[in-house]
Amino acid sequence: MALVEIRDVFKSYWLHGKRIDVLSGVSLDIERGELVSLVGASGAGKSTFLHVLGTLDAPVAGSLHFDGTSVFELSDAGLARFRNRTIGFVFQSHFLLPEFTALENVAMPALVQRVDRAAALAQARALLERVGLGARLDHRPGELSGGEAQRVALARALVLQPALLLADEPTGNLDPATGEGIHQLLREVNRDLGITMVVVTHNEVLARSMPRQLRLQAGKVLRA
Amino acid sequence: MNSDTATLALSEVERPRWALRAAAVLLLSVGAGLLLLAVRQAGAGDGLFSALALLAPGWGGLVQAGLGLLRAAHRAPPVALALPWRWILAGAVGWCLGWALLAFSIPKAQAKDEAPSAAADSPLYPPLAAWRDFSPATFAAYAVAILGGEVVLVLLQTFLASGARGLGMAAPSAFVLSLLAAVLVAFAAGAFGAARARRLAAPEATIAVLYLGTPLPVLLTLLPNFPRAALWVGYRFREITYVAELIGRPEIAYWLTFTLLVVALALGILSGFVAGGSGTLDLSTGFELFVAARHVQVFRPRLLFGGLLVLLLGVVPPLLVLAVLRAADAAVERTRIRALGLKDPMLAAAAQRAWAEKAQTATAMMTALSVGGVGVGVMALIIVLSVMSGFEADLQTKILGTNAHVVVLKYTDNGAMPEYAEVVKKVEGLRGVIGVTPFIFGQVMIASEGNVDGTIIKGIDPASVGSVTDLPKNVLPGGNIDWLTQPNSIPVHRPARPRAATDADDEVVHHTPGGTEPVLPGILLGRELAASLRVLVGDRVTAVSPLGGGMGPTGPVPRSRAFRVAGIFYTGMYEYDSKFAYISLGEAQSFLDVKGATGVELKVADVDDARRISGAALQALDGYPYRTKDWGEMNRNLFSALRLEKLMMGIILTIIVIVAAGLIVATVTMLVLEKRKEISVLKALGVPDSGVVKIFLAEGLQIGLAGGLLGLLSGLAWCLFIEKVGLRMDPQVYYIHSLPVKVEPLQTALAVVIAVLVSYLASVFPALRAAQVEPVEGLKAE
Ligand SMILES: Nc1ncnc2c1ncn2[C@@H]1O[C@H](COP(=O)(O)OP(=O)(O)OP(=O)(O)O)[C@@H](O)[C@H]1O
Ligand SMILES: [Mg+2]
Repeated sequence: MALVEIRDVFKSYWLHGKRIDVLSGVSLDIERGELVSLVGASGAGKSTFLHVLGTLDAPVAGSLHFDGTSVFELSDAGLARFRNRTIGFVFQSHFLLPEFTALENVAMPALVQRVDRAAALAQARALLERVGLGARLDHRPGELSGGEAQRVALARALVLQPALLLADEPTGNLDPATGEGIHQLLREVNRDLGITMVVVTHNEVLARSMPRQLRLQAGKVLRA
Repeated sequence: MNSDTATLALSEVERPRWALRAAAVLLLSVGAGLLLLAVRQAGAGDGLFSALALLAPGWGGLVQAGLGLLRAAHRAPPVALALPWRWILAGAVGWCLGWALLAFSIPKAQAKDEAPSAAADSPLYPPLAAWRDFSPATFAAYAVAILGGEVVLVLLQTFLASGARGLGMAAPSAFVLSLLAAVLVAFAAGAFGAARARRLAAPEATIAVLYLGTPLPVLLTLLPNFPRAALWVGYRFREITYVAELIGRPEIAYWLTFTLLVVALALGILSGFVAGGSGTLDLSTGFELFVAARHVQVFRPRLLFGGLLVLLLGVVPPLLVLAVLRAADAAVERTRIRALGLKDPMLAAAAQRAWAEKAQTATAMMTALSVGGVGVGVMALIIVLSVMSGFEADLQTKILGTNAHVVVLKYTDNGAMPEYAEVVKKVEGLRGVIGVTPFIFGQVMIASEGNVDGTIIKGIDPASVGSVTDLPKNVLPGGNIDWLTQPNSIPVHRPARPRAATDADDEVVHHTPGGTEPVLPGILLGRELAASLRVLVGDRVTAVSPLGGGMGPTGPVPRSRAFRVAGIFYTGMYEYDSKFAYISLGEAQSFLDVKGATGVELKVADVDDARRISGAALQALDGYPYRTKDWGEMNRNLFSALRLEKLMMGIILTIIVIVAAGLIVATVTMLVLEKRKEISVLKALGVPDSGVVKIFLAEGLQIGLAGGLLGLLSGLAWCLFIEKVGLRMDPQVYYIHSLPVKVEPLQTALAVVIAVLVSYLASVFPALRAAQVEPVEGLKAE
């Protein structure tokens, strides 16, 4: 059984009474431990797909099975727990919480899960050291550079060792060298921790370096 | 492949629907108008319109019209009542048709106007597929909450307070217990219903409150207007109506209690939703508090201290000081930064950055304002209620110092009770009775050489009166209550040196014909009375009883008797000091021609228990021809007016707190708007809806707690100030030297609890709005 089974997912938007079909019947299997790249033209619906996959957005129709459980049938709290324990997100911008330090931001998913404060902070510290930010623990997001913030965001996505990491153009805002550093980190995480990943990217080189390559086109996911 | 023309022809569908709705509303108004006319014709208009305000929520014109007719029916003689049937019929038809039309105008599912989409065969998104718009189980739970709460209140109050079939507790304390139980029922059932439904279930709650909750208070409010109905069911609510009447305006009590139950239900629903939204009870809040505390940060010593200063000293002085300090700080800091920069620009930049970080955001200012607003409300509540309690306590000690707690009287033609000694013996031993004394009551004129005044004269037993009233203690130095029975001991007032009458016309001049004064029975006069008669201890006064002399040829003959002032008393109540005179029981018996005594006065250990003891005393005396009255009954108007006034003040001041709550709504709403993106992120990190609600509730609650704390501290400080330093009042005008205060712990705690509760409730709406923020919403922005 595949880790993720997506069947017949439809998603449309309405703008001034006009329907915009973004996903029209997406079906896809993702195996455990896979590293998948997703490309597509701007506006093709890659972000939308990732949001539906991460249960951040409700589709019109379709089903999503994760490890055999039908995710869309979970209650609100069940969905929240699913997002908290099984999914890690990295977005184009870092979306760190501005009132909290880098360390607290990374610990946040563990705190949501009501892990003991000290234990959560220790775990977060270890991860931040691993992404090379041991000297920035007490910085607020406003006091970090773009690349640093993105690495903090990555550490936050990994703190609970999720089964699936969804990354939406994680290097879109960064210069090529910094971006390459993040890519390197992603590959390491996939290799060392065995975390399954779906990475949306415009970077052809990066996309081609991934073991499995998908393309979103005309509302369907195709093999790239 | 964006499917192009799925444009909904909205206007096409909308037009007939709105026409239908307009027609329905028109019909409804015409129907209601006709019914109103019918009521006017039946002559029940005024009664109806007063009921209208109470019945407006959800009960419709039919009930109103019916009640108006009922009222008219019982008022007018039955034959004269001609019901305007045609009007009623027309009105009712119009009313029902209107509703039918409205129901008809509810949009039905629309017919498909295009070919099935590509998604036609895929499974619908499950939450939508599982959508329920009405849950009977939740409705039942809410019904239990509101109706069950009311029933529990009535039954428990009847059981606890009823002397015959229950425990015979004092009515007010029984009511507190019953209300607590009812509130718990409402809260628990509401929480259960919401946790079960995993939503707030507002339709169910509205229907339950309006259609199941209001009938009882409506019934209780209207009962006094329908003697026949009151006869029929009234006795079942005896204990409840008794408690409600204690404050003078029972209907206010009914609706306040009802409102309290509704609030308890709302809180229960919210708690159930927040705690049990997941199906498992999740009461832990550590994470939510952590986030909330970072958002609002009200418990900073500087903010709290500043707030306290503002509440204690007024707004202007602390702000002036603050402004001066700020300006001085800024000047010093800039000089320092410049000096640093001249050495090393980097140091200056760092210092500047640290300085800039202290600047406050708009939301922080709003937060401080809301804390201050709640603080002002709580402070005002505490001060005003404490002063009113002070007045009440002052009045109570004065009244109870002069009057007995319970009196025993007898129904006879002349009101006499010759066997008073037996009565005293019978009631003396009752539990809770700590003093008994007989008395005689009469009204006489008292004349001195200087003036004449009408007074109430009481014959007392000087030996035992001290065990019932404070009279012996109130006798001013120079007099003595025991002289009532030892008239020989009264010092005779003689002017040091007799003066000629022309010398001073206004002064009391004693003519002592034989050189020695006769021995006269003693009398005690109130201070104001003595002043108006211009007499002192030892002076002679004449009392005239209009009826005491028996029948003469021209009707009752007045009887007069001379007394000597044995003492002057001061109670502090103008009414008593200007209207009361006391003589010994024996003198009163012969002077007022009363056999034995008029009645017997009792003092009880606990004044709140007086009503029960009054009943017990009556039982001990086998009822008729005896009757008893407690102090509450004797002074009912005064105390119920006071209590009503206090309630009104409480309500008015609670409105201040509610205005402050408006500030809280605004502040929390601003916080929610400001944190939209963060809410999305938190949701993406796995915070459930109930967690988001908790975060923002905690923010409102923190503001309420901080404000309540400030209000409590400053209110108590003000009360202490008034008590210790005192606000002088002109005793000539108020008959009181300074503003009395009495800080009642329960009432003070209640003020704080109300503020915290109102803050909590105020943040409910913004918190629920926060939970509705979709996770993608904030993640797409930028
Ligand atoms: N809330 C919305 N309302 C209407 N249309 C929307 C909404 N959100 C997205 N869209 C449309 O849906 C389409 C897919 O958007 P999406 O963000 O998924 O594209 P994307 O593939 O991630 O593009 P990019 O590579 O530029 O990030 C776009 O055409 C966009 O205009
Ligand atoms: Mg995108």
